[in-house]
Amino acid sequence: MAVTTIDYVPEGGKVMVDDKNGHPGIKATTFSYGQINDDMLGMLEKPHPSYFLLLLGFVLALGLGALSLSIQVDVGIGFSGISHPIAWGFYITNFVFWIGIGHAGTLISAVFYLTRAPWRTAIYRSAEAMTVFAVMTAGLFPLLHTGRPWLGYWLIPYPNERMLWVNFKSPLLWDVFAVTTYMSVSIMFFMLGLIPDMAILRDEAVRKGQKLKALIYTPMALAWRGTNHQWLHYMRGYLIFAAIATPLVFSVHSIVSWDFAMSSVPGWHTTIFAPYFVAGAIFSGLSMVMTVLIPIRTVFGLEDYITKHVIQSVCRVIIFTSIIVGYAYATEFFIAWYSGSPYERAIFYFRPFGEMASWSLIGDQKISFPLIAFWLMVFCNVISPIPLWRWKVRNNPLAVWIICALINVGMWFERFNIVGSSLQREYNPASWGEYWPTIVEVGITVGSFGFFFTLFAIFVKTLPPMAIMELKEGTIPPMKNPGGGH
Amino acid sequence: MSKFTGVWGVFENLDEMTDTIEDVRGKGVRPTTLSPCPRHEIEHALGPQFTLVPWIALAFGALGCFIGYGFPAWTASDWVLPVSGKPILAIPAFTIIGFELTILFTAIHTLLGIAVLGVIDSFRFPIPQAAKEYTRFQRDRFGVVVRCSESQLTEFETIMKNRGAEEVHVEKA
Repeated sequence: MAVTTIDYVPEGGKVMVDDKNGHPGIKATTFSYGQINDDMLGMLEKPHPSYFLLLLGFVLALGLGALSLSIQVDVGIGFSGISHPIAWGFYITNFVFWIGIGHAGTLISAVFYLTRAPWRTAIYRSAEAMTVFAVMTAGLFPLLHTGRPWLGYWLIPYPNERMLWVNFKSPLLWDVFAVTTYMSVSIMFFMLGLIPDMAILRDEAVRKGQKLKALIYTPMALAWRGTNHQWLHYMRGYLIFAAIATPLVFSVHSIVSWDFAMSSVPGWHTTIFAPYFVAGAIFSGLSMVMTVLIPIRTVFGLEDYITKHVIQSVCRVIIFTSIIVGYAYATEFFIAWYSGSPYERAIFYFRPFGEMASWSLIGDQKISFPLIAFWLMVFCNVISPIPLWRWKVRNNPLAVWIICALINVGMWFERFNIVGSSLQREYNPASWGEYWPTIVEVGITVGSFGFFFTLFAIFVKTLPPMAIMELKEGTIPPMKNPGGGH
Repeated sequence: MSKFTGVWGVFENLDEMTDTIEDVRGKGVRPTTLSPCPRHEIEHALGPQFTLVPWIALAFGALGCFIGYGFPAWTASDWVLPVSGKPILAIPAFTIIGFELTILFTAIHTLLGIAVLGVIDSFRFPIPQAAKEYTRFQRDRFGVVVRCSESQLTEFETIMKNRGAEEVHVEKA
């Protein structure tokens, strides 16, 4: 038995555990407080030249997006593939996708905090940062989609000379409130977690005589000293944040789903959408966390912090949500058949098989974007996670990374499958249409990935990507008489 | 010259610190502690503590809920727009806004509450400047600060030394 980890039991000192059997042993629990500081601050040192090369790639993607965006805004929304009857295309797909990616951070920092999942400690800071960046990315798309983003403030209820108020009964306005609240709370939660770590950075900079760093970090630490009074308010406040962020996580994508479900469009008007969207959001968000963190773990040598147990734990949640997502796909088809509605049946035939030429399950064999999206969605979201059921696959970071990257692709196409297909085949065949994105929409989509990854790459080298304070909290404290209690 | 009168000590080990806290409390004084992370051992040694943060969260959450329902209701009444016989005051639709504003108000004011209470506590429970500037409290050391009269300085200094403090500093105003 390969005994490689030590689990800390407050009453009894140390217990040796077997890493192979997935016991929640984290090697870092045996590290000293000082070593944790040094390891984490080491990540913020001068980067390797390859970092700048990677950053350049992200910035180039961002530049492509900015160029496409400027063309789109300058020429107008007609330059996109969005036209009657398909009013919602890539932009709304990207919006729903990025909001989903933004679910993992708050889920990990709030829900897993309340459920006391110890493995969250090593990954929650990065996941929270991802949430903030993903929601920022998502927020750009509805504004862009309106065609006149400079009038975006019309979405906010404010007294105006037209004596008009926004329509609070509209799901689109619910979305405005849900997304802005989620973004605000995510940013505050992220900032709250950073305060003690900023104090660590400040004091380490002072200790090492790094005056510029000390000057930057001092105001960011908000006079944090780590007194018992500060910890008391802080920990109670953190608990409250976790408690209110938990329902928020589940509400945001539910409300996004109601943008669709509240309409009477076939394929959208269904009560399963809220749980289906939330499960999909958690599924995609956690996959993105793994897609980003597994390379970071390797590059920075963080195997002792982001252990294989942590990866295994995230994979278990991914498996769970993939089952829900797969079940939801099947339920949609069953309900389409069971409802007896010819329109529902037609759209669910159209998605996998194309135009209904006969009942032979062949369709018109004409390749359409929804058809590609559907089969990619099924392969990436239902079939590709199946190997994760095996312990050996979950224990192989490279295999997990490949599967999670596939899930990211699949989830983007799932969002498109929902957004794009229903509008192509609504009730009246006279108003059917085709949708293919233009180069500008593709450019902006690539740019959104560039925006997200550029922000994340900057974050990794400027702020502690792991919560130093919480790593210490989960560590065996220095004791003169270990196991003696107090 | 320091405005603080008292004793503060630096400890390498958590159990030495908690023992010191208990000894100091035994003399009728509640110390202020400094630590690199929150530890339940310190909380137990210090005894019950009170914070207003949950009450701030509750009060402003309730205000957010009231505004979340009240504002849409007022705007709907301000410009009545009957559609298909649907209710003007649509409670289920307004529940979304009520929910979101409850969360938003709670979050903002919890954060503000933590900040404001932190400032208030820095006046209520002052610690000497030297302890504030001792950088290893954010790294790997624990601190105990006792505010007392000049006549008690020696007593608390002795307690800290006996309990294994690495450093003990006596401050006089």
